[in-house]
Amino acid sequence: MKTLLTCLLLLISFTSAHGATRVGKDKLNVVATVPDLAWFAEQIGGDRVTVTSLAKGTENLHSLSVRPRTIVTISKADVLLEMGLSLESTWLPELVLTARNRKINPGEPGRVICSSGWSALDVPTSLSREGGDVHPDGNPHFALSPLAGPTIARNVLTGLILNDPKGELVYQKRFDDLSRRLDKSARHWARYQALFAEATCCKKAVVYHMEFDYLLAFLGLETEIAIEPKPGVPPTPNHLAKVISAMRGESIPVILTAAWSKNKQVTMVATKTDAQVLELPTMVSGADWASDWFALIDGSLERIRIGYGLPELVEEPVLGEEPH
Amino acid sequence: MNPRTLSRAVPGRYILPFLIGGLFASVSLGQTPGMPQSGSQSTRFDNDFNPAIGMVLDLAGTFVDAESSAADGFELSLRSTELSFSSWVDPTAWAYANVVFAKDEIALEEGAVHYVGFEGNTTLRAGRFFVDFGKQMQAHMHALRTFDRPAVLRAFLGSELGGDGMQYDSWTTAGEATIVRWSLGAFNSLVTESDAELPSESAFRPSLSELALTARLTGYADVSESSTLQIGASMRYLPDFEIHDEANDVKAIGLSNTVFGLDATWGWLDDTNTKGWTAGMEWLAMKGDMYGESLDLGGGNFAVTPINDSAMGYYVFVDRVMDKSNSAGVQFSSVELPQAGMPRLGEFDAYFTHKPTEFQRLRYGLTLSESEGQEEARLSVQYTLFLGPHAHGVQF
Repeated sequence: MKTLLTCLLLLISFTSAHGATRVGKDKLNVVATVPDLAWFAEQIGGDRVTVTSLAKGTENLHSLSVRPRTIVTISKADVLLEMGLSLESTWLPELVLTARNRKINPGEPGRVICSSGWSALDVPTSLSREGGDVHPDGNPHFALSPLAGPTIARNVLTGLILNDPKGELVYQKRFDDLSRRLDKSARHWARYQALFAEATCCKKAVVYHMEFDYLLAFLGLETEIAIEPKPGVPPTPNHLAKVISAMRGESIPVILTAAWSKNKQVTMVATKTDAQVLELPTMVSGADWASDWFALIDGSLERIRIGYGLPELVEEPVLGEEPH
Repeated sequence: MNPRTLSRAVPGRYILPFLIGGLFASVSLGQTPGMPQSGSQSTRFDNDFNPAIGMVLDLAGTFVDAESSAADGFELSLRSTELSFSSWVDPTAWAYANVVFAKDEIALEEGAVHYVGFEGNTTLRAGRFFVDFGKQMQAHMHALRTFDRPAVLRAFLGSELGGDGMQYDSWTTAGEATIVRWSLGAFNSLVTESDAELPSESAFRPSLSELALTARLTGYADVSESSTLQIGASMRYLPDFEIHDEANDVKAIGLSNTVFGLDATWGWLDDTNTKGWTAGMEWLAMKGDMYGESLDLGGGNFAVTPINDSAMGYYVFVDRVMDKSNSAGVQFSSVELPQAGMPRLGEFDAYFTHKPTEFQRLRYGLTLSESEGQEEARLSVQYTLFLGPHAHGVQF
């Protein structure tokens, strides 16, 4: 037994002494949990960074599958961008623990929380599973808010500079450029706000899950009717009956849902209430038309407008990604 | 641990106080000489830095139709209640413990510390924990895909196989989409759950209170945009054990046996990560002293005759994930039982799992088994709920 333990310790020592050490690299290796953050990192980092997203835009973020390349990618990251607000709490901590990359451990400079400074909606007043799958820090789907761009961009900028100070001028310049485009888009998106504010018909919305709360709040739509009775809790027949009754009373024309929701139930409710099912992406690249963050917000707002039957904006064309 | 490793695990500014603390350990702060020192937290009335605590309740109702089995009939039981604790010890180590109440007994199922302070991807695990063998043996009973562990694993390794010892574990990458992991374990003793679900046996089984060695090598790779494949090989070696006939107080000593295993698991998930397929298999072979038979020498003298032989078995399964709440699957296992005559046991499982929420699981199962002409059918309903934090880490 002693011989065996000695051999074991020698093997460990050998492995420790010959552990992987990262060779010098030209570019900062940025890993983002979701495509939205990857897009912001590409916009601000430019040629100084290589960016990888762990999740695909179509995936259900509540339970991301662990793939070999996910672990490999995290193990080589210089910077890990996460949304925070416990959006990734069911899978990211275990992945980081497995990947054994100290640079991106919680509290390290390489770990960047992109929701820092954001005021979340739906912050629970008490933490109990009686409320379903509640997020302790509030609704984490804030990247779907048209107002979220500056917060995310600022946090990404801070993270990149912290981990690559030599690139500060480049990052700052690209951030300034992005900020101008965000400002311009914000003015455009404000017209949707005005449109919904003027329309007396459209004050309420129905969703399956609460991922569109920020987007709908931006438009002044109340999202008090959800097909899920509580976050993460599938609807019972009794609850569906209440939803159908409430929708008929309010004449709400649209149900917003994501691809991974239980959309057979959504379709059933829509059929019984003459509503339209509007399946929207929850992240960049979640649909063909949502190739970048501007397109995601643009496209979502436009589809909601159409769903509510409101008149088309008569301003200049929708802003897309500009060359830089 | 070599000096280089120590210096990295314990930052330099801590080394001097660490050494001084060792020299003057009897003169502790906040305590009089000779009295016990605080372990980790000096205040006793607040709750900071306490371990995360979780609980799992696993309930089952079964109806068994068997011609000659004590399990025949209906049974409703609390299969197990697991209380788990986990916490970081310091920046380089985390520890956990699982205390399980099952079959009217309380047992420490696992209690181990993971040291992760090495450079690279090496982990040293020490304490009591499940052996690293194949894909299914790492999982607790309540966490399995099926109601029971596959028959071949129950027969060769036990329903659950924990051990008191230590394990070296490391992994490396091969390209951008492949991970290769290996582990070596040495255990003073293995703690196996009863395999009472198997047909009755007439032979004495190896005592697992001796040295046991384990090894595993596995590769896990992305084989397409949506699918992964894992292939592994495992071994458990008992180099020197005894078989004890307690009734006659005789034993056979100096015995050894080895269990080899090969496993393959393929998985596919759609773009939304909510629909998918998983297919897998494990093939096991046991070779060496497998069991003992009592030999009456006459005159009130007995001996244990060890039977040195080999046996094989396997299981295959296919699971379908239909959406984020529902999945179904089938599994077939066949094994030569390591007991007199080495009868073959065949077992077929069909199961449907429904998760009302993330914290509950309801599973309906049908199990058909046959051995030596004896057939058994079991219908099962299993309800498992999770309170508080519960995670298994990334297992592959």
